[in-house]
Amino acid sequence: MIPLAVAWLLRDLSQALSMGVLLVPDFFMLTVAYDIVSGPLGKERVSVLIWLSFAGGILWDFRWTATPGISGLVNSLAVLAIYTAWGRTPVAGRGVWLFALLAGMAHLLSGITHYIAWSVPTRAATRMLFAQQLLGIPVLAAACAVYLFRMKKSRV
Amino acid sequence: MTGKLNPVLVNSLLAAFCGLMLTWFSHTFPYPARMAADRINSMLYYPELPARELRFLVQAADQWMTERKNLQERALVLERENTALRTALQRSGVNPPQSAPGLLGASVTLRYPDAWWKEIRIDKGSSQGVVAGAPVLSEGFMIGRVSRAGEDYAWIELVTSSAFLLAAVVVDTWDLGVINGDDIGNVWLMYIPPEKEFSEGMLVSTALVGDYLPPGIPLGLIAGPGETKDGLTPFKVASGARLTQLYNVQILLPSEGGSS
Repeated sequence: MIPLAVAWLLRDLSQALSMGVLLVPDFFMLTVAYDIVSGPLGKERVSVLIWLSFAGGILWDFRWTATPGISGLVNSLAVLAIYTAWGRTPVAGRGVWLFALLAGMAHLLSGITHYIAWSVPTRAATRMLFAQQLLGIPVLAAACAVYLFRMKKSRV
Repeated sequence: MTGKLNPVLVNSLLAAFCGLMLTWFSHTFPYPARMAADRINSMLYYPELPARELRFLVQAADQWMTERKNLQERALVLERENTALRTALQRSGVNPPQSAPGLLGASVTLRYPDAWWKEIRIDKGSSQGVVAGAPVLSEGFMIGRVSRAGEDYAWIELVTSSAFLLAAVVVDTWDLGVINGDDIGNVWLMYIPPEKEFSEGMLVSTALVGDYLPPGIPLGLIAGPGETKDGLTPFKVASGARLTQLYNVQILLPSEGGSS
């Protein structure tokens, strides 16, 4: 809960800082993705994560968009997709690459949804989407590094 | 993932449905959605304050830099414009080169900064009848003489040059002396005995010295005595021409018979 709140606030503050210049990466969604794969895949735990991601999306919509609801919808579906893909993959196949793929897809989905739902599809908006996705790469890499570190630590 | 309904799936679909409903609701009834948005914005006002202030600071700094750059560029343009206007104004105050019988008008084409008081180049040369030694005038006063003449140009040695030596006479007293420059803009009447007294404003003109230099060409006015040295007193001569602003000059051409 606390890491999610911190990630949401970090994203919010970053967006307040860079408003009008760029769209910041979706730290919140990446943290949700990390939370799903880094702990046990308990249904209750994931259900809580679904509602937390939904709440985070709704808050984001109220703060930064005119039509609240879409981010909550996308976030909850993204959590379901990550949970399903991660859960159906054999334990041996669950690694940092799969995490990177799922988190990256969730981040891309979030960006594209915002692009379609709230921006006029101009060249400038497309550039902003690309910039957001590019900026998301180092954040994703950092999340992967943390994931690897945690995995190594748990094996020792 | 059992045969029963998966709670994750149920919760996820429920959340998605809620999101969809909220979207529909906020579209249909925008007022409550805006109220909620306002409430959340006011809650986030203080946490976001440092980020917002930092953004304003960066924007203000950027704007200041841009304005400064624009002002500097503008100042540069105005400075250039001002220089061009000054030059045009000075040029407009000077009559264009005019030729009269025996006088050939010429424009100054070069004046080296390091030889500012020594020589100038003009755009007339031997093809127009200019010969070495011919006196050069500006505003009715002699300002130098032709030192060498090319086909389409000539170099003039100025009266302010230390190499310039010319016999001159104080018109009111008929005392003779030698005109000489000092390379820093002054003209002196040299070799005057100390007992001679000239008053300011006395006219100094050329004495008869050669074929190309007729007597009686005004050189300047006595401006005052200098320091007596070796038993002789130099007198400062103020040229009647504006020696700092030489744009056009006149060359006194030799007459057909050999003298002007």
